[in-house]
Amino acid sequence: MNFDFSPIADNWRFFASGLGMTVLLSIVSAATSLLAGLVIALLRLYGPRWLRPLLVFYIDSMRAIPVLVVLIWIYFAFPIIANVTFPPFWAALVALTLHIAAYAAEVIRAGIESIRPGQTRAALALGMSRAQILRKVLLPQAIVRMLPAFGSILTIAIKDTAIATVIAVPELMHRAETVAGQSYRPVEVFTAVMVAYFCILFPVTRGVDRLYRRFAHLGRS
Amino acid sequence: MTFDWSVIWTHRAALLEGAALTVGLTVLTMLLAVPGGIVLALMRLSPNKLLQSVSLGFVEFFRNLPLILVIYWAFYVMPMAFDVQFSAITTALVALVLNVAAYNAETFRAGINSIRKGQMEAALAMGMSRRQAMFKVVIPQAARRILPVIASTWISLFKDTSLVSVIAVSELAYTSMQIRAQTFRVLEMLTAMAVIYWLMGYPQAKLVDWIHRKYGVKE
Repeated sequence: MNFDFSPIADNWRFFASGLGMTVLLSIVSAATSLLAGLVIALLRLYGPRWLRPLLVFYIDSMRAIPVLVVLIWIYFAFPIIANVTFPPFWAALVALTLHIAAYAAEVIRAGIESIRPGQTRAALALGMSRAQILRKVLLPQAIVRMLPAFGSILTIAIKDTAIATVIAVPELMHRAETVAGQSYRPVEVFTAVMVAYFCILFPVTRGVDRLYRRFAHLGRS
Repeated sequence: MTFDWSVIWTHRAALLEGAALTVGLTVLTMLLAVPGGIVLALMRLSPNKLLQSVSLGFVEFFRNLPLILVIYWAFYVMPMAFDVQFSAITTALVALVLNVAAYNAETFRAGINSIRKGQMEAALAMGMSRRQAMFKVVIPQAARRILPVIASTWISLFKDTSLVSVIAVSELAYTSMQIRAQTFRVLEMLTAMAVIYWLMGYPQAKLVDWIHRKYGVKE
């Protein structure tokens, strides 16, 4: 066996832009998922009663359907009914958000519910409004407790962006497929990209762990 | 726009076969990944430094990689490393097992570690051997805590089998996309694919919730 890593060196700009796209897509989709997840969690906890079964149905459905299926459906099938076409990036962003937001909503709900109800009662007795209680009492404690889960949402987002290759989003995985196909050096290319993904993901998982250990005491009650 | 939903009924045999392969892959992967995870967890908990670091390295590596990349990598590297052509299903199975075994190893390790040290010490003080204490005291308690996590992993695995469609394993996702390409019934086939996944996955998700309620650790 002889290895030839020159396709990677020759195409480094091509790979670098793919890496940039991976980072961009994962950060943006993690952020939109957290925002959407927060809204869903709050609606589920404090929203109108009739909305709850619908939200539970949405969350459980997203736990049941693979992200690949959501991606492909949004990109290929949705435009047929809605008569609009998305560029791949936007389709990926919508699909990933749809999928990950369901997880984020569960994480956030669990975080808020983990704060003892006595605190809410005490705050109500002090004359705080519901919104004030959420902002000043529940969320500050809950967010610290949710930190490790936020970290795993970010890692899930980074890993899931690789699946966006199936709808040709020009991210790292897709770039790897392109170069592997052109250079007939799939082993070298995929191994190099594997190292690259590991180098992004490992510090994220480790970093969140350390961050959490530093701030864990703030979440105690 | 006219839709022709009959295409789903016409291809029901292929879709059923695909769904069966999806379930088969999930079951088979889990059957291999549970022993794999146990071995990795025991290596990690053993006093041997070399075994510890091998296990740690394996687990951290495969937990920090997108599965789709591992599937591609296995597809190209395995035939070269072993000089044999593997079938797509074998390749898919290897990639899935590598991934799930790494997750299971962490689950088992955390489960065993979650049983207070005092229990092991008490068992030893009662005159049990290390092996007896492990199998009669620690593992039965750890198993209850591990079960819900394995159930969650099961659901993720069930969904992740769709990714092996990229190496042309004819499970549900691949089969649906093939029919889509042959019949040009894009919306119908992709919706059918999503609905079939939903029909299979939704009860599993509900079952996992039930397992979590019944066996989950309550603090």
